[in-house]
Amino acid sequence: MSIPEEVYLPTEEELTVTEVNLTGNLLKAAAFHYGKACLSENNEFMLCRNELDDPRACINEGKAVTSCALNFFRQVKKSCAGEFMQYANCIDKSSSTSAYGPCRKTQAAFDKCMKDNLNMERAPFDYFARVHVHKTDRPRPLPEPIPHFPDPPVALPEDAPKPPAKYGSRYLFIW
Amino acid sequence: MDSVTKRQEMPPDGGYKTIPFKRVPARQFFSGYALIGGYLGMTAGAAYIYYLNCLQVQKEEIELRSGRIAIEPLLKAERDREYLKQLRRNRDEEAKLMANVEGWKVGTLYGEPIFKTRPDAFIEPKFHEYYMHTDLWSQKLRQYFVWLS
Repeated sequence: MSIPEEVYLPTEEELTVTEVNLTGNLLKAAAFHYGKACLSENNEFMLCRNELDDPRACINEGKAVTSCALNFFRQVKKSCAGEFMQYANCIDKSSSTSAYGPCRKTQAAFDKCMKDNLNMERAPFDYFARVHVHKTDRPRPLPEPIPHFPDPPVALPEDAPKPPAKYGSRYLFIW
Repeated sequence: MDSVTKRQEMPPDGGYKTIPFKRVPARQFFSGYALIGGYLGMTAGAAYIYYLNCLQVQKEEIELRSGRIAIEPLLKAERDREYLKQLRRNRDEEAKLMANVEGWKVGTLYGEPIFKTRPDAFIEPKFHEYYMHTDLWSQKLRQYFVWLS
């Protein structure tokens, strides 16, 4: 038993876009520039995703995120491919957690290239861990309606007979 | 006959040396107060260096987390699309599989829905149900990600 037919699921064509076909270390290496370049798209998507908690409702925002990321990585590939690959390689092979600490030299080279060619600053080390205020046009989601049940159980009338329990106490250990 | 004269053994001139019975204390480099002060000072210095190190470690942890947060939307967007595709594949597969069964309605047990109060709500399936129509290996890979990757 899966999702019933009445529930809307987007079709394969609606969901198919060009994905960012990169591994973790490359994404991690680019994270601080990428996050800043696509900040508004990312925030929009995450806001939608957390507000509605429904993957079907945020397809378009997700597509915007992916296309922004693709655009960003194309720019990086055009301008700073060497430095980027060097940095990502260092991140991949220097620690088990893909830490940034052991790769400050290659990072400096990559940052300088991004600054010179694409005019992108590296975000501060805790930039994405901070609280951000995001300005958006999205309408605030409506609060979940209080469910109304048409057939609440009717209380016993005042003078209903209350005979003693047929089979004694129901407390198993106290009789 | 009387040439062998007796010689009484006597103490040396000026008498024996005095017996050194007095306690000889070890040479003191530091006084007690200096030792305690030095201990406190070194501990304070070490604690300060430890604090600096902690700050650096914390900073690196925050940086790692920050990087992860930065790429989360990208990963989540891709994951959502793939997830919804798989849900649709599951539903189509079930419709194909149960086509010949009399009275079977997809997503229900012969017309009996899983959740009665909200028939049109999108309720995410359980893990095994989601991987029902995939190959076993991709399910196990997800299930035992740590050991199989």
